[in-house]
Amino acid sequence: MTAAAERTPSVRRQLLALLLVPAIVVLLAGTVSDYATSISPVRDAYDQALADAALAIATNLRMDSNGSVALELPAAAIALLRSDAVDSIYFRVSGPDGAIIAGDADLPQARSVADNPARDDALYHGQPIRLVSYRSTTPSGAVITTVAETMHKRAHIRARLLTTVLGVDLLELVAILGLAWLGVDLALRPLLALRDQISRRSASELEPLALSSVPAEVRTLVGALNRLFRTISDNSRMQRQFLENAAHQLRTPLAGVQAQLELMIAEETMPVRRDRLTRTLGATQRLAHTTRQLLALARSEHAATDNEGFLVADLATLVEATVPAHVSRAVSAGLDLGAELQPARICCVQWLLAEVVNNLVDNAITHTPAGGSVTVRCGANGQTAFLEVEDTGPGIPRDEWARVTSRFFRGRHARGYGSGLGLAIVADVARLHDAHLSIGAGAGERGTRVRLEFRRIADVATAQAPGTRLRNAVAKPAR
Amino acid sequence: MRILVIEDDQLVGDAVRRALALAGYAADHVSTAESAKAALHAESFDLAIVDIGLPGQDGLSLVRDLRRRGHRLPLLMLTARDGLSERVSALDLGADDYLTKPFQVAELLARCRALVRRANGIASTRLAFGAFTLDLARKEASNDGVPLDLTRREWSILECLVLNAGHVVSKERLLSAIASWSEELTPNAIEVYVSRLRVKLGDSAVIRVIRGLGYRLDDCGG
Repeated sequence: MTAAAERTPSVRRQLLALLLVPAIVVLLAGTVSDYATSISPVRDAYDQALADAALAIATNLRMDSNGSVALELPAAAIALLRSDAVDSIYFRVSGPDGAIIAGDADLPQARSVADNPARDDALYHGQPIRLVSYRSTTPSGAVITTVAETMHKRAHIRARLLTTVLGVDLLELVAILGLAWLGVDLALRPLLALRDQISRRSASELEPLALSSVPAEVRTLVGALNRLFRTISDNSRMQRQFLENAAHQLRTPLAGVQAQLELMIAEETMPVRRDRLTRTLGATQRLAHTTRQLLALARSEHAATDNEGFLVADLATLVEATVPAHVSRAVSAGLDLGAELQPARICCVQWLLAEVVNNLVDNAITHTPAGGSVTVRCGANGQTAFLEVEDTGPGIPRDEWARVTSRFFRGRHARGYGSGLGLAIVADVARLHDAHLSIGAGAGERGTRVRLEFRRIADVATAQAPGTRLRNAVAKPAR
Repeated sequence: MRILVIEDDQLVGDAVRRALALAGYAADHVSTAESAKAALHAESFDLAIVDIGLPGQDGLSLVRDLRRRGHRLPLLMLTARDGLSERVSALDLGADDYLTKPFQVAELLARCRALVRRANGIASTRLAFGAFTLDLARKEASNDGVPLDLTRREWSILECLVLNAGHVVSKERLLSAIASWSEELTPNAIEVYVSRLRVKLGDSAVIRVIRGLGYRLDDCGG
């Protein structure tokens, strides 16, 4: 993934980010308040137990005759008071003068005496404790009974409360995010379906997209896309019509001029005029040839959206139908024109491939001296199908191999009435078919061999009737 | 031999008419489908050359009309377009051959000769090709009046080549022409029959071997 793709805004990411942060804040606040509300009754209950113990001790305070206060509690009762499975229990009873009456002398008392009993936290022997001090009034002054306990029970129950509250809240968070994810997914589904619908299309499919299943939010977008599709298809139809009309308007007068010249040459008896007419006919033929190639080149550019489109065809059948038209020219040039054909099914625009064969064979016949041979081959090996034309001519100079496919390029040894467009058309058609074009020397480093390698149609597809439109098979690989 | 040229472009129509006249045919030239129908209704023609891009009713629909009305005359289509689909629909509608503009006059004449020859063969069971005469009913051939001693398979191959003179005929097609006598023939057997046939025909006809594609009996322009 590229940096640009990482920066691309994603609806899903944005929605989740927008939801996640507030959800976490709300849940944290909830956790705190849940914890606070559930911890205070627990603390009160434990405090109440301490207060009860303090009260119980205080009821056992007796004042003797000389006015001093003493605790009348049997040792067994004190042991019972101090017994606890988890925490250590401490107590202290101090008289009005602060003197110890009973219990642990160094145990702190509640600092504030506003309430009775008063609660407080303190440290005792290095351990945090909770204490409750109860003030009982005697004739000789206030006696303070303090009962304290370490915090183990409380810490334990606090931890349990915290984990329970946090656990429940975390579950809620996960549930919310999960639902949000699902919701985003559901909401995005029509958009993804739209994306698939568009990406499945080949370049020639320009029908408007259906608006029925499209969510209201993207209806405008799809409408704009449909308008764009319509514009493109209108343009391409107009272009096609223009080219067809241009072909007709150019070829018909050319045919007339050419045929009239041929007749005049046949009828003319003066050698000088015959010669001029023959040269004029030659120029007309060059003009016709260039016109044909220019039109082919222009049409090949629109072939992706052409009505005739891509069909499954056998290269061998195509060559068999195309090459015989060149036999007469080859025979009069003293050449052996032949073919070595094996079945090779590909997905192609047939007239363009026929144009390729015509151009290659035409070039080969033009450049091969009498006595030579021109061979058209096709076949399949593995995943590729190939089409090649090889001749025994002088070959294309090595330094021109790369340039011969540029438009209007004519080599140092160019002959005949070439327009310099033939191989440019071949290259264009190869590009359109995702075929690999190679130009080099023929067998034994002699002559010229032009070869096109296509992706072959799988055998499953071969079973389909010829002419079956293979929309997906022609879809160009992603770039 | 009478040929009707249906072509709206005056220069092309005139050239075709003149070329046919020069080659010894009687040729008439009309510019629209309507006048073509009138001409064909009034007189009999041996061949019609039909431009597809006629104004008003076009050539394709004229061909359809003619075939519907039972006209059997051979039809050679001319077109300025090179889409395969147009060619296919022309042949599907009942046209016999197809030529793209611009064309060479010699090519046009060769196509006309081949179409007329085929039509005559069907009508009279006699085919003439250069110095050869083939009697399709009696399956006999003669060269300059001298009967040729051909086996039935050689005769079938010659018939197929003459009927398609000027066109490349594949081995498979020749094989299917003689297949009624045997199902076990291989394409190699065709080579044997063709080479025997070439010996028997001598110098009076050329059966060209088009490597990998088939054979072509060359029209000597007669």
